[in-house]
Amino acid sequence: MSGPKRYVTRVRGARDSVAVDIEDLGEGKYGLRVRGRTHTVDARVLDHGAVSLLVDGRSYDVELDESGDEVQVLVGFELLTVDVADERAVSLRAGAAGFSVSGKVIVTAPMPGKVVRVLVAPGLQVTEGQGLVVVEAMKMENELKSPKAGTVIEVFAKEGSAVEANAKLLTVE
Amino acid sequence: MAQGTRPIRKILIANRGEIAVRVIRSCRELGISTVAVYSDADRGALHVRMADEAFRVGPPPSRESYLSFERILDAAKASGADAIHPGYGFLSENAAFVRACEATGIVFIGPPASAMDAMGEKTRARANMEKAGVPVVPGSTAPFPSVVEARAYAEKVGFPVMLKAAGGGGGKGMRRVERMADFDSAWRAAQSEALNAFGNDAVYLEKYLEEPHHVEIQVFADQAGNTVHLNERECSAQRRHQKVVEETPSPILTPEMRAAMGEVAVRAAKAVGYVGAGTVEFLVDKHRSFYFLEMNTRLQVEHPVTEWVTGLDLVASQIHVALGEPLAFRTEPPRGHSIEVRVYAEDPAQNFMPSPGRITYLRVPSGPNVRDDSGVYPGYTVPTAYDPMISKLSVWAPSRPEAIARMRRALSEYVVKGITTNIRYLHAILVHPDFVGGNYDTGFLPRAHSALLGRHDHVLGEVALLAAVVDAYQRDARRERILTPVSGQRAGPSPWRLRARGSRR
Repeated sequence: MSGPKRYVTRVRGARDSVAVDIEDLGEGKYGLRVRGRTHTVDARVLDHGAVSLLVDGRSYDVELDESGDEVQVLVGFELLTVDVADERAVSLRAGAAGFSVSGKVIVTAPMPGKVVRVLVAPGLQVTEGQGLVVVEAMKMENELKSPKAGTVIEVFAKEGSAVEANAKLLTVE
Repeated sequence: MAQGTRPIRKILIANRGEIAVRVIRSCRELGISTVAVYSDADRGALHVRMADEAFRVGPPPSRESYLSFERILDAAKASGADAIHPGYGFLSENAAFVRACEATGIVFIGPPASAMDAMGEKTRARANMEKAGVPVVPGSTAPFPSVVEARAYAEKVGFPVMLKAAGGGGGKGMRRVERMADFDSAWRAAQSEALNAFGNDAVYLEKYLEEPHHVEIQVFADQAGNTVHLNERECSAQRRHQKVVEETPSPILTPEMRAAMGEVAVRAAKAVGYVGAGTVEFLVDKHRSFYFLEMNTRLQVEHPVTEWVTGLDLVASQIHVALGEPLAFRTEPPRGHSIEVRVYAEDPAQNFMPSPGRITYLRVPSGPNVRDDSGVYPGYTVPTAYDPMISKLSVWAPSRPEAIARMRRALSEYVVKGITTNIRYLHAILVHPDFVGGNYDTGFLPRAHSALLGRHDHVLGEVALLAAVVDAYQRDARRERILTPVSGQRAGPSPWRLRARGSRR
């Protein structure tokens, strides 16, 4: 199994985002680390978004409802809307989701595809959430947004060229 | 119901939603065919699916569909229905409609038009009750010709006062007014609500009693005039005059009060020649004096709690009475305890804004002595045109504490996805000390509002995060399996393309 993967979560209405590390232990079992505590979670996906979670042996019946980048989670009488993103997605969706990123950021292609349009040039001032590059993948055009306010330093993407997943497209500082 | 002993083989239900489903169920058990009616907004509704026949009665607005005498009666004639069950709301308390049914030769399952006339207009009802020696809340006995007279009367009885639609109940057209400065706008709002809900803009006013309990008595009468009461329902858990939780027995009633109120309720029903199921509503003040409020001349939303503690099917009993049969039951002490909650498609945190939309998933509670009267199903879209109540959940247990525990348990099993509901809010009511204590008046829900919205449970909040991350991880893993190209294939043309090229000659 691969090593832990980090996700950044933010509950709608909450001020701070919370990092959660997840490690796949196989057979539906996961090690999760959140706020310095580690939990062993056995997750069994049932129908209609129902998930049975055994968290350190305690049973929780959870209902999930995905809508866009967010997922609604119902557990007990708690209903939370959670935005979950892995680190790559954090840099892509930073503008819209409000995750803040500091320093120099490399914007990469989220999946293999074709660069349809380049919306910026080196030296241009951009705002957080401003569109930078449009990449077509799976017949869908995805506008990649700036993760932060700053200046475009380099542009690697060329219109019409094919890109692999994780290919560097440009950097913003 | 004056038609007497004519057989009833087919009933048209002039209603929609859960109550139409409720009536269909009893009809089916009695071997009676059912006819549903629907507006364009309800073609896919559960009552249409469950009925034996279904007729379109018009576009979504109630006034052009469920409130249209002509269209409902046309459907009744076309289907050959012997009787019409009106449910609650819509045409259920409309004496003119009862007369129209009589003129068409169709049995109306409810009281005669004369009893509705006597009780339907609340001002007339008050006058009739005063004549019959029934205690009433100080207030006007005739609708006011204009706002000027109404204002003068409000000044006389003193603020706060309550404005009420003369033509119907259910909280529509009701306004509590604290001071003269608010009077005119409240008056206009009450009139327009009354007109929209009941087709009658008559509004009257009453003195507002402080800390009142809303306790109502179920009565039943056959065509021979035998009239009994089936004990009370405590309905003080209200929000904007809309009942949210009902229970029986009332935790504040002694057997002596029950007997006294029951006797007055029976007297009230007899005074107007009542037939069938009816409810006499009372306000009970701090000193446990009770005052006649109004009589609802129909089946109540909250009738299941009475069914739980009496063992009766009130819809079936209505039909038996319509057939001219004598009452097969009498007044008996309530057996055990029952609680009902109303599940609404609304968001308590957003000022109870209705949240119509598609129900993507539904899991209804079950287990011992749990009943769900619902008008929805998974995949159903709750329309914007009507009341957002989607179901009534009721439970029975031998005692009140056990019934409370059972209702909490049942609510914890209730899952509705796709739309926001008040289920969490209902659970908060069931654990609130004022409710558990039993002495809650009609101000309870507004007073406890912020407590009822609830605090977040941190443990469950953390579990929600874990669940969301596991879900995201699994989704990403699936996506990677789909998107990641198998290494080596990318370098050259795919085998599929090679083959295609090879075959082209």
